[in-house]
Amino acid sequence: MFVSDDINAAFIGKYFLIVDDFQGMRTLMREMLKTFGVKNIDTVTNGLEAIASLEKNKYDVVLCDFNLGTGKNGQQILEEAKHRDLVGLSTAWVIITAEKTADMVFGAAEYMPDDYILKPVNEATMRSRLEKVIARKAVLANIEKAMRAKNHARVVALCDELMVSSKTSATELLRIKTGTLLAMGQYDQAKQVFEQILAKRDIPWAKTGLGKVAYYKNDMDRSRQLFREVINQNPAYLEAHDWLAKCHEAAGELEEAQRVLVRSTELSPHSVLRQKNLGELAHKRGDMETAEKAFRRTIKLGEFSVHKSPGAYLGLAKVCSSKNNPAEALQILKNVTKEFESSETAMHAKVVEGLVYREAGDHINAGKISKEVAELVRADDNKGNPGMMLEAAQLFLATGNKEAAENLAKSVVRNNHENTELLAQVSELYNQAGFQDIGQALVNKSKQEVIELNNRGVVMAKEGKLDEAIKLLSDARTMLPNNKRIMINLVNMAILSMRQSGRNDYLMQLSRECVEQVAKLDRQEEWCAQVRAALDAIPATE
Amino acid sequence: MDDNKQEATPDISAFLASAIHDMKNSISILIKFLNSSITELEPEAQRRAAPMLYEAQRVNDNLIQMLAIYKVGNQFYPFDLTENSIDDFVHGIVEQNESLLSYLGIELNLDFDDELTWYFDRELVTGVISHALGNASRYNKGKLKLSVKEEEGELVIRVEDNGGGFPASVIEAGDAVRKGVNFSSGGTGLGLYFSSMVAKLHKNRDKTGSMSLENGGEYGGGCFILRLP
Repeated sequence: MFVSDDINAAFIGKYFLIVDDFQGMRTLMREMLKTFGVKNIDTVTNGLEAIASLEKNKYDVVLCDFNLGTGKNGQQILEEAKHRDLVGLSTAWVIITAEKTADMVFGAAEYMPDDYILKPVNEATMRSRLEKVIARKAVLANIEKAMRAKNHARVVALCDELMVSSKTSATELLRIKTGTLLAMGQYDQAKQVFEQILAKRDIPWAKTGLGKVAYYKNDMDRSRQLFREVINQNPAYLEAHDWLAKCHEAAGELEEAQRVLVRSTELSPHSVLRQKNLGELAHKRGDMETAEKAFRRTIKLGEFSVHKSPGAYLGLAKVCSSKNNPAEALQILKNVTKEFESSETAMHAKVVEGLVYREAGDHINAGKISKEVAELVRADDNKGNPGMMLEAAQLFLATGNKEAAENLAKSVVRNNHENTELLAQVSELYNQAGFQDIGQALVNKSKQEVIELNNRGVVMAKEGKLDEAIKLLSDARTMLPNNKRIMINLVNMAILSMRQSGRNDYLMQLSRECVEQVAKLDRQEEWCAQVRAALDAIPATE
Repeated sequence: MDDNKQEATPDISAFLASAIHDMKNSISILIKFLNSSITELEPEAQRRAAPMLYEAQRVNDNLIQMLAIYKVGNQFYPFDLTENSIDDFVHGIVEQNESLLSYLGIELNLDFDDELTWYFDRELVTGVISHALGNASRYNKGKLKLSVKEEEGELVIRVEDNGGGFPASVIEAGDAVRKGVNFSSGGTGLGLYFSSMVAKLHKNRDKTGSMSLENGGEYGGGCFILRLP
């Protein structure tokens, strides 16, 4: 395969990490690698040691056993390493396993190993598979750099360039390219590439990609149909299940969504995220049995996972509460504050605690907690996530703390005045508490305020009073730190101003902050990529 | 009245996957051991010992096939359609089978286009072709041929031997399995069903893969043919 005098050419100077809990296997692999001419080999026995090594060193290849006894399994180490950016695109991650699973082959693209080698391993297979994967990955070093710099356009350009010269990595380059185009919101371009691939052959990832394009373009019927086609042809293709569930949920077909999620948790019994999604969906549907099981499993599976999150604990507490088991609910809430030392989790746990007391008919404690939460919300400056804020508002209403409820509800509406689903939830909250008229009026009024403020800014800008408009909207942003529309208008004005009067550190900083915040709120925002490019293109002033 | 106390027949499928895994591990240790022991023997002794390896290999093939059929049937099999280099694929197969063939003194000829790549599930197709080679190693007169070629938009993999060819009953069983007719032809059933299942899993647009058995071919013996779109 390699036109070289040295049969070990592919392995020269490469750094390897071996992760295996059995001494015998570690020795066997080390000896094998030595015969390939590898000199730099680290070996570790478990997930903790693996992560510690990955924090310190950069490896070209990680050879990781799947089943490592207690603690993290091989897939979970990979997930943590990718999640924490300890390994990039150019590191080859190879899982050694007795059996290939749907997770390894069809799991979420960002956590997929680059190859898997089935046990028992023999030297010839090992050599040829490693040569292949090393060659494939070597091509990607520059793309990794561009990705780290969030330079999407450069990633796409590099992919196009490399596809001409590197045949071995063609599929991987196409996947990176289309994934990046989707992240940039360049749906039509992504669609074109997927269609070119599919014109030659039915390939599940390309068809799934086409389904994603349809989803983002709001063509729900088409996207559902595409994901179904993928699943029909390839029943274990996990990613299509994930997306099909999303489609059903977006269309309000919760029962269907749950059925798909149940199937996907059967296919990937180790996945923390899918269990959590199932728990949340079942809870939303009021299917407490399924929700309870899924949340318990999420917590158990998540023990050693980077995807361990407070959500499953809070969900389980709510389920226990509605199943008339306040004692366990309160215990879980106590645990979650211990397990996760974040003020946001502590606050959310407190909100749920209040709701648990309220549901159990303990009005004294519910009232007490309601007051405490009101204090926390004030101190926190209304920055929590909208889901928690709504629950806090629910607690305030249930305990007669109307003023706090109103402040919070207003803040949620003002920060999210274009999010119709959330606005409907605010109204619904008031409906359930028996204050229909108040809720609807509050939503309408707060929404109108933001629209007027925004419009005032836009009119000023059109009249040429850019500085005033920027001042108005940046003040508004201090009060409404999560309002996307205000940030988008603000940045557009800042760019216009800099194009007219030259680069300006304050506006540059302000714009970058806004772009990152918008990206955080909505990862698929096409606007972000365009603005990043526009900001980069503004010339420095002398 | 129903007799609720009567114990239900246990559902063996619950144990099937894990038991097969366990057996597979044992067999692969046995195969490793046999291989390293037989290698040390004189050629004539190797030829006499080779059937042990052949039988162990057969048990291993059967277990792999049952596990795959079980998983596909329950829609759990991660069918992994990827682009494979035919050069790599053929060499992988040769590595898996060369020791048995050399002990038996069988010559394996290869005929393939080393620039060719094709989309298929490598593990499954390797299973099918290794099994066909194993079978052919039993019913030949010292010569086998593995050829892999593109013909009219399909990848055609042939395993041919210079033996007496398949008996009519096996050819019929092959036809029956291919047409999806119910079959119960004892020993050959599992392998044929597995091969046909793997062929049918491979689809491209409106075309589906197929498996067939013929007599004749270049060496005048049995000929196993797998076609993948």
